[in-house]
Amino acid sequence: MLRYLRLLALGLRISVTVGMQYRWNFVIDGVVSILWTGLGLIPLTIAFHARPAIHGWTFATALVVVGWFSLLKGILDGAINPSLLTVVDQIRQGTLDFVLLKPADAQFLVSTARFEPWKALDGLAAIGIFVWAFRLLGRAPGALDVLGSLALLACATLVLYSIWILVIAAAFWVVRLDNLAYLFSSVFDFARWPVSVFRGVLAIVFTFVIPLGIMTTYPAEALLGTLSLRTALLSTVGALGFALISRAVWSRAIGRYTSASS
Amino acid sequence: MSSPLAVEVRALSKTYEVHERPPGLAAALRSVFRRKYKTIHAVSDLSFTVEPGERVGFLGPNGAGKTTTLKMLAGLLHPTAGEARIAGYVPRRREAAFLKSITLVMGQKQQLLWDLPPADTFTMNRAIYEVSDADFAETLGELTELLDLGAIMKKPTRQLSLGERMKCELAAALLHRPQLLFLDEPTIGLDVAMQLTVREFIRQYNERRGATVLLTSHYMDDVASLCPRVVVIDQGRLRYDGDLPSLVRSIQPDKRVALRFSGSADREAVARAGTIVDFDAAHAVIQIPRVDLREAVGHLLGLSFVADLTIEDPPLEEVMRELFSASKPAEADADAGTQADSA
Repeated sequence: MLRYLRLLALGLRISVTVGMQYRWNFVIDGVVSILWTGLGLIPLTIAFHARPAIHGWTFATALVVVGWFSLLKGILDGAINPSLLTVVDQIRQGTLDFVLLKPADAQFLVSTARFEPWKALDGLAAIGIFVWAFRLLGRAPGALDVLGSLALLACATLVLYSIWILVIAAAFWVVRLDNLAYLFSSVFDFARWPVSVFRGVLAIVFTFVIPLGIMTTYPAEALLGTLSLRTALLSTVGALGFALISRAVWSRAIGRYTSASS
Repeated sequence: MSSPLAVEVRALSKTYEVHERPPGLAAALRSVFRRKYKTIHAVSDLSFTVEPGERVGFLGPNGAGKTTTLKMLAGLLHPTAGEARIAGYVPRRREAAFLKSITLVMGQKQQLLWDLPPADTFTMNRAIYEVSDADFAETLGELTELLDLGAIMKKPTRQLSLGERMKCELAAALLHRPQLLFLDEPTIGLDVAMQLTVREFIRQYNERRGATVLLTSHYMDDVASLCPRVVVIDQGRLRYDGDLPSLVRSIQPDKRVALRFSGSADREAVARAGTIVDFDAAHAVIQIPRVDLREAVGHLLGLSFVADLTIEDPPLEEVMRELFSASKPAEADADAGTQADSA
């Protein structure tokens, strides 16, 4: 365990070193993503313009969901995407060989290969949104609520990561999956809305297949102090379930690896 | 024997399903809906063993199954049938102790972090392989000296030449002091001087550490100078296992005699000694059956215009070409494997 923490620290250090080499690229990336966060608020303001509330969500509380969305997007783009998109290339080019030759867990190694430290700016944008939302609400979040929402953030990250692992595992079968990755990013975009606004098939998909609720809505509700203990527990169980399934699928996928000829 | 064999391969086979389609848009469209799959027998019923400390050359034409075999031995690919054991381990289980005892160097792929100096990759590998500070310092010092890494270790990898990169690849692959080296075309694309450096380094590593070396190379000189033993595979099957000189003798029972002339040479007189391969005003190469060599050389030395004479084996490339071209018709009878003999 300690060894893996050390490897994680080393991976981060190396990514920061690389980040320094291409700093302008990353600064521009960071600025662009903050711009996108801003633009992302436009549909929200339009949706809430005429109505005071949608399914119990007001503009201010929905803003909290957007905050979590922004934070999670930062985690996705900064800590999950870079590594896992690298794997897809490695599978196609056969350089995953080197990862599989290492005497350490392959899933861990591929998941910590690359970070984009500048994406931490998304986290700052998220905090800005939280501050704005709670000023609109005219109160501060409770200390326990903050703790609870952080715990749910861990669940959200785990779910997001597990889904990504499942998507990547598909690369072992189909080899190229730029489209699949793109599709996932598009679907993830729905997480900026509270999950209860979706109805019918979408509600089912976003609850069980791609649990957007666990990702952004429940952490937001926790921060607002409106989340039931039952939902919190179900979130945790759901997140662990996703992690276990993705681990099992990953292990099978490794066996399917055909490498690429020299 | 107390220590297990370094490599033990029994009836190893690997088949792939690849989908194939004729060229053209229509065929591409058809293949979207209905794919034809073809089974490729990359490796068939391969058996051999390697003792610890041996240097073995893997020979075969492109697509013979050399790389596939190495990858199965390294645990990257799962065999379809048969089994492989490396120092007692089953490779596909990828146990940590097994992975720490081997390394795979691929001349066409790299593990060095592209944007950073090789030293950073070394640090990373050191952590992954859990090499102690003292061992790391000692091994790195040794590799730096043998491969002359001093200056290049601190330059970003993307700024290194191919040869410099290969030296660093070797270092990165050997920091954990593996006992078994799988080297897949480690000298590909390198100039002659760098090939020699790499070759000499491999030999020294083998001698210093008693490590086993399995090498594939397109440069026959690599194999001839490094490997006392060769394993020849073609179309996934074992064709030959033994020492190189015997292989050359069995394929090409003739010797080559190179002549240098002083004065005008008489082609007729030279031709009497054997078959002329090459002939010009100053030089000639003739091919002579081994049994007739003594007599032919006597005849040639008796010619007044012959200034110098050397006896050589035919170039290995040529021998291999002959070996593999002979296998093509044999394959139709599906008995290519019968030519294999264990020396």
